[in-house]
This record gives sequence, C-alpha cells and structure tokens, in this order.
Amino acid sequence: MIERTEHDVQARAAIKSIDIDGHSVAFSAGETILEAAQRAGVEIPTLCHDPRLEPAGACRTCLVEVEGQNRMVPACKTPAADGAKILTETERVDRHRKTLLALYLTDHPRDREVAERGAPNELLDMADRYGAPRNWGTMESKRDARDTDRNPYIHFNADTCIACARCTRYCEEVEGVSAITLAGRGAETTIATADSLSLLDTTCEMCGGCVDVCPTGAMGEKMPLTRSAKPERELKKVRSTCNFCGVGCQLDLNVDEEAEGGNGRVVKVTSPPPGTTTNDGNLCVKGRFAYDFIHHEERITSPLVRNENGDLVETSWDNALRVAADGLRGVAERHGANALGFVSSSRCTVEENYLVQKLSRAVFKTNNVHQCAAT
Amino acid sequence: MTNSIGEIRNADFLFVIGSNTSEAHPIIAMEMKRAVRRGGTMVVADPRKIWMTTIAEKHLQLNPGSDVWLLNSIAHVICEEGLADEAFIRDNTEGFEQVRETVARYSPEEAEVHTGIPAEDIRWVARKYATTPKAGIYYTLGITEHSHGTDNVYALANLVLMTGHLGKPSAGMNPLRGQNNVQGANDAGATPVFLPGYQRVDDPEAHAKYEKSWGVEFPSEPGLNLNVMMKEVGKSIKGLFVMGEDIVLSEPNCMELEKGLNNSEFMIVQDAFMNETARFADVIFPASVFAEKEGVFTNSERRVQRVRKAVEPPGQAREDWRILIDLANACGAGWTFESAAAVYDEMVKDADKFSGISHARLDAMVSLPKTGLQWPCPTPDHPGTTFLHEEGVLRGKGLFTAVEYRPPAEVPDEDYGLYLSTGRTLYHYNSATQTRRESGLDEKQSEAWIEIHPRDARRRDIKNHDKVRVSTRRGSVEVRALISRQVQPGCIWMPLHFGEARANVVTNDAGDPVTDTAEYKVCAAEVHRIEEGTAPDGLYPGTFYGLDAPV
Repeated sequence: MIERTEHDVQARAAIKSIDIDGHSVAFSAGETILEAAQRAGVEIPTLCHDPRLEPAGACRTCLVEVEGQNRMVPACKTPAADGAKILTETERVDRHRKTLLALYLTDHPRDREVAERGAPNELLDMADRYGAPRNWGTMESKRDARDTDRNPYIHFNADTCIACARCTRYCEEVEGVSAITLAGRGAETTIATADSLSLLDTTCEMCGGCVDVCPTGAMGEKMPLTRSAKPERELKKVRSTCNFCGVGCQLDLNVDEEAEGGNGRVVKVTSPPPGTTTNDGNLCVKGRFAYDFIHHEERITSPLVRNENGDLVETSWDNALRVAADGLRGVAERHGANALGFVSSSRCTVEENYLVQKLSRAVFKTNNVHQCAAT
Repeated sequence: MTNSIGEIRNADFLFVIGSNTSEAHPIIAMEMKRAVRRGGTMVVADPRKIWMTTIAEKHLQLNPGSDVWLLNSIAHVICEEGLADEAFIRDNTEGFEQVRETVARYSPEEAEVHTGIPAEDIRWVARKYATTPKAGIYYTLGITEHSHGTDNVYALANLVLMTGHLGKPSAGMNPLRGQNNVQGANDAGATPVFLPGYQRVDDPEAHAKYEKSWGVEFPSEPGLNLNVMMKEVGKSIKGLFVMGEDIVLSEPNCMELEKGLNNSEFMIVQDAFMNETARFADVIFPASVFAEKEGVFTNSERRVQRVRKAVEPPGQAREDWRILIDLANACGAGWTFESAAAVYDEMVKDADKFSGISHARLDAMVSLPKTGLQWPCPTPDHPGTTFLHEEGVLRGKGLFTAVEYRPPAEVPDEDYGLYLSTGRTLYHYNSATQTRRESGLDEKQSEAWIEIHPRDARRRDIKNHDKVRVSTRRGSVEVRALISRQVQPGCIWMPLHFGEARANVVTNDAGDPVTDTAEYKVCAAEVHRIEEGTAPDGLYPGTFYGLDAPV
C-alpha cells in the first residue's frame, strides 16, 4: 500500500470518484450512477429514462448491484456516492434483466412487423440483446386505447405501451401542459386524458414530444400510419434545420427514397437525440408535423409568363429567364437602376440571400435590396 | 441575441416582454419553462394574457403602447434605489447621466396612470431584475412593431447597461428572431445599408473591397428600406424582384401596395406556391422548399446550421440559388458557382465574422454534441462565440440612449373605440402559405377570429361566435368574434395568418422613424356585429384557455 500524504488525501476528496465494473469514474455532486456510467461508456439498459426528465425509477431495467448492499438499486435515480463500488454485469443483474424483460413481453407484441409499424421498438431490441425468454405465455393488454380521439397527429397504440410514463412526464416537465396522464391501476394502467377527451379538447399543444420519447412506438404519429408509410427503420434520415421560426431546431427528415417516382418523399420528421442540438431533441407542432406542404399538389412546377391576354401561362426555363432579364433591364434603361427593387427572403438560405444582394448590387447597380427583417 | 438559447434554462430571472413565446417560439418557451421549474422567476409584460403568464410570478398587463413608461419607470427605481451597477457603467458605458436625468421624471406612481400597472409591481420587478445576477431580457415584435419601436429597444438596452447584465451567461438582451433565417439574411447583406457581415455600403473601405472582389462598380449610397420601397412601388419603383415573400399579405396597409403594383411595370416572383403577390407577376419562377436544397440558415443565437437536400423539387422547379445564378447569367453576369457551398465560400471570403465557417466544417460537426457554429467565428480553428460582449462591450462603450414616451400613431377615439393588436398563433406561420396547406393544422385553426372582452362585446351586442366586421381608417375585414378575457377591456386581438381576413387591410403602416417598421401592434379599430354565428367546427383559438376561457 502506498503511503498517502496529506496533500494527496485532500486532492482525492476534491475529486470524487465511483467504481463501476472496475473503472474509476470521477463525478460531480448530484450526478447519478447512470450518468457516471454513461460518461464512462458503461452501458446500463433503461426504458423510462430521458435526460430531459426527472428520474422516475419506474421501469426497473437499470437496476445494478452496489457492493455491500443487499438490494439492487435503480442507477437512474441513485446518486453516485464517493468510493462506492457498482456492479452492472453480475449473474444476479443478468437474471433480473431477463426476468423483467420476459414479463414486459407477456402483454407486448413480439413480432417486429406488428410492434414496429411506426417507430423502432427499444423493448424488443433490449430483449434480443439480453436474451430474455419469449415463451412466458401471453395475455391480452388491458389498457384503454382511446381509439376515437379525432386529433390529427398523435395515435396511442395501447398494445405496445409499457407504462414507463416517459410521455406523461415529458408532457408535464418539458412542455408544461400536462395534457396526458397515467390512469388506472396495475395491468390496466394506461395513458389517458382528463375524461378521455380528444387531445384537441385538452391543453395539448401537439408538440409530439410524447411520440419522440416513447421507447416502444405506443405513442405514434398518425399520418405515416394511416398512409401505410414504410416503418422508420426503412427510411433515410437527412439532418436539416427547421424552416419555421428563428430557433433553428435540428430535425431529421425521414425520406422514402423510392416514393414520388424516385424523387423521394418526406414521410415523417423526427428529432435528434437530446443533448446534441440547440433544441435538445424537442420540436413543436409545426417542426414535427407540418411537412405535407413539401409535396403539396399546389406547388408551382413550371415557369410561368404573362401572355398578351394578361394570363399566366407555362413556358420553358430559357424563355422565362429571357423575359425576366429583358423586363428588369427594360425598367433600368427607362427609369434608371434605382427604379428596381429586390425583395429577398429570410425564409431562404444565407447563400440565396447573398446571391440576391449580389444580383442587385453587382448586376443591376442598385442597393434597393431588403427582406422582411424590416417588419 | 447577445446570449444563447441553451443558457436560458439557467437564468434566475426572465423578463419576457412583447413575446408570446409559447406560440411564436415554442422551443425557447420550453427552455423558459425549464428555468421556472428549476426555481427561476419569470415576469411577463404583455397587454394580453398569454400562456406564459400562467407560470409567471407577475403579469404586467400594460396598456398597449405604454412600454416606454413601463421601462423608464423600472430604470427610475433602479437609479433611485441605488441598484445600478456603477462600476460596470463607469468602465463599459457612456451617456448614463442623461438617462438618469430623463428617467427621474418617470416615477412608478405616474407610470401606473399610463400603463395600468401598480407602482408596487414596477418597484418589485426593478429590484428583482437589478439584483439577480443571471437576469435576461427576452423580446420580439411586441417591442419593435410600434411607431416607437426603436425607443422601446433603447429603453430595454438602458436597463441591461445600467445593471451590467451583459457579457455574462444567462443574461443579456435577447430578441427572438421570427423567421428561420432572418439573422442569416441580414448577415448575407440582403439589406439596403449593409454588405455581407454588416459592412456599411457607404463605408469607402468596405465598398472598395467589394468593387474589387466582384470586379464591377456599384453605388455606395444606401438603397431603400423595404417599408419605404413598398410605399414607392408604382411611384419611383417600377420593377420588382420578389423571392419567397408574399408582400401583398405581409406588408402593412396592403390596399395601397396593391394599387402600387398595378401601376408598376414589371415584376418577377420566385416562390414555391402561388400567393397573393404572384397575381401581379409578369414572370413566375417555380422555386424550392427547404427540404429540396443545400445551404445554411442562421438562427436567433447567430448559430449557422446546415440545410440539406432530402428530396428532389417537383416538376421543373429548381433550387432558388440555381435560379438566381441562371437569372444573373441571363443578364450577362457570367457567374460560375457550381454549388451552394461555393457561394458560401465566396461570401465569407470578404466577411471576417464568418470566415472560419464552411459547409465542410459544419458537415464534420453533425455527430458532435451541439451542431453548427455561432459567429463571430473568424478562423477555421475558432470555436465560435456563445455570448457576445464577454471581453467588454463590442463597440467599445455601451451607449445609453435616453428616450421619452411618445403615444402610438393612432389611439382609440369616438369613431374607432378599441385598440387593435395583431399577432401569431402556434398553429400557423406568417402568411400561412405552408401551414394552411397542412390538414392537421387547419383542423386546429381553420378560420380567422378576433378576441374581444365580454364588456366590449356586450356594449356592441356581440355574442360568442358571431360574425363581425373589424374596421379601421384603412379598411375592414370580416371575422368570427370570440368572447375572451385574454384581452383586457378596450382591446381586441387578431391573428395575422389568414388570407381571407388579412390583418394588414386594417393595420397602420405608420413607421418607426429609424427603422420604418410599421405599427402592427397598435391601431384604433371598431367592431360591428354582422350576423349571428354558430359554434364553429374546429376552431381552437389558442393554447391558453385558463379559468376565464370563453364559454
């Protein structure tokens, strides 16, 4: 044993550390075992956990052993204690995980075709990973599904709900509207609204956070389901920036590449993981659900010019560009460059705004260029 | 924003003024909700009850347009009670004495008469704001869309400067930007005064740099501001190029603008959808939406983030940047950009604030915690800037500007007895070209309405859901009336998104003397009942029902 100096002891007190499966992990006050483990790259399974939410300790998948304690503890809810020795891969932990997941599966669809009609199913992934038995018998789910809810966006599939309450806690803690709540007891515990109202008639703001946090797709998006879109795992995700307000939320456009004759179709929008972007994985009703305009039938699909009768008619790009160039030059020749005005757009990209002001200044020699930032 | 969105959750005091945050900026509202849940104190100043007032410690329900009275009286208390940060003022600012003298005349007691807010509440807010180190101000168009909008902003800046809530995390002065890329459009120089990177076009050095860079000569006198330009359409402006904005729907006093468009000679509209403006166009270019093109948007916190092409544009529609290059070349410009990335590279070459940013660098950041880069970011190894003014005020000394109260350009009188204010809702976006084509959103809010207080409704014999005519000196629109205590007596409120009931037929185009921004937030109006209405199918007027919700 190495003799410690007084200085060493002080330094050690300042840097608190916890031992997880033999790795020494430094932690700061208030951190949980789970947070320390995640930082050290030690995987502890969770279903009800989300970094945006207060720990609930509800799903019990994160139970780990603490040396010297008889009972296992939930890693998500237990504060890291200096010098504690945590064991996450013992025979007892493994037995607990298999048992727990097998119990979850008794009233859960096990066929991925059924269980993953919408989003990927974390419970099935976890059952595969930890080798949970799948032959423990089956029982019908007793949860009330509120099938008649006429809201346009959010679908509740009671069969795949595991009552982890991520959705209801998100609704209360992050969105702050408490539109949905846990109701019923035991196997009948379900996700409900007050008096089983449609979400349209509650305080719900349709942010879809419940859909985002759900680990099993029980809270799902209606539109892809009713349109029989491909399940999420078969879609290509393209990270982009939302085109509505100025927050700049990052979102993933989920694209069916074969649709629209190979042009691709956005069939869903999902949010990046919490903690990785400015929006922390959150989106609002517009960012998450307003994507139908992209493929709307009223899109302009051809250049148009006004003919001698005053009607707008379809034309070729070459002709439209020629008429446009002649029109602008004509005004400049007749009235001078400052008779032209260029209205750029804060809805378009930085590059496009750069090009409009360069067009105005360098090509037409006027500084009459602006956009709606003025209003 | 001087500070970043991620800092809001750690703020201990949040002063939200003229911002219906949960409807116009829902994700920023989530950060504010988190701050309040953590124990932070929120104060909301707004003539109307909005959702955020339900979690606010205090709601300062001021009379429309009385902002300067409120803000100057807060400053009055801070000065009077010795709560100003004298060291910060001495080291970092100039002009404080004049503000101190001016606000001395704005006592909370007299402010109570003008704003309707109890003097004690004003004192409480002043003390709490001045003495909380992490205190941030958050505002939007409720501050700026006034004939005294610039004064409002100066009055807020005075509060920030006198308390030293600047250059620190979770503090500062934070205008929340309304459009996805309103910051980026200004950054890129799409303004009559500034070249890219806020270099003045009338600054000889900057102007010469760009003439050399572009290899052409161009004028150095600033051009026309949009609001002036719109008033000049059909007069001195004879030809217009309009990209991605429905000016007929969104510019104030649109009847005048329509007349002007009829008198102009030539207009090009470049848009993804037909809109009100396109009706006047001579040429229409079919453009793309964000999911169909490469580029960057810059958000409220100066964060430059990538927009990526996910799908092809329909039919012959093209990416806007390609159309612009095609148009320039049809005019003989000889531009050779082959990608949006190349356009960005040219832009940052002469604009130091962004010169460390490129598409390639942004693409390499996708998997890191936090994506995008916040300017200033002058070199490729610069990490970007989270909050401004950390090393002292950027312009050298923070400039105090004393402002005096001026009433709105139009106030209620015998003919038009009510204050009309306009605003956004959660379920639609601006002129709603996109959102009204969403079946779900339209299900939630399918038609226009006004909110009117029960007292004012009773006097006009208006019942809930009746069809009414809202008239001002400029015009009138027909909408449904909702009896609501979200508005205070004497005030009505109306959303701006609905083409069939264009708010801008009635709003006042009287502009702020500095910015020319129109007074969308206050004008005088009257309401008349047209016919009895039945309860509408699918009209969910807002996110805030509260105890006083219409029955």
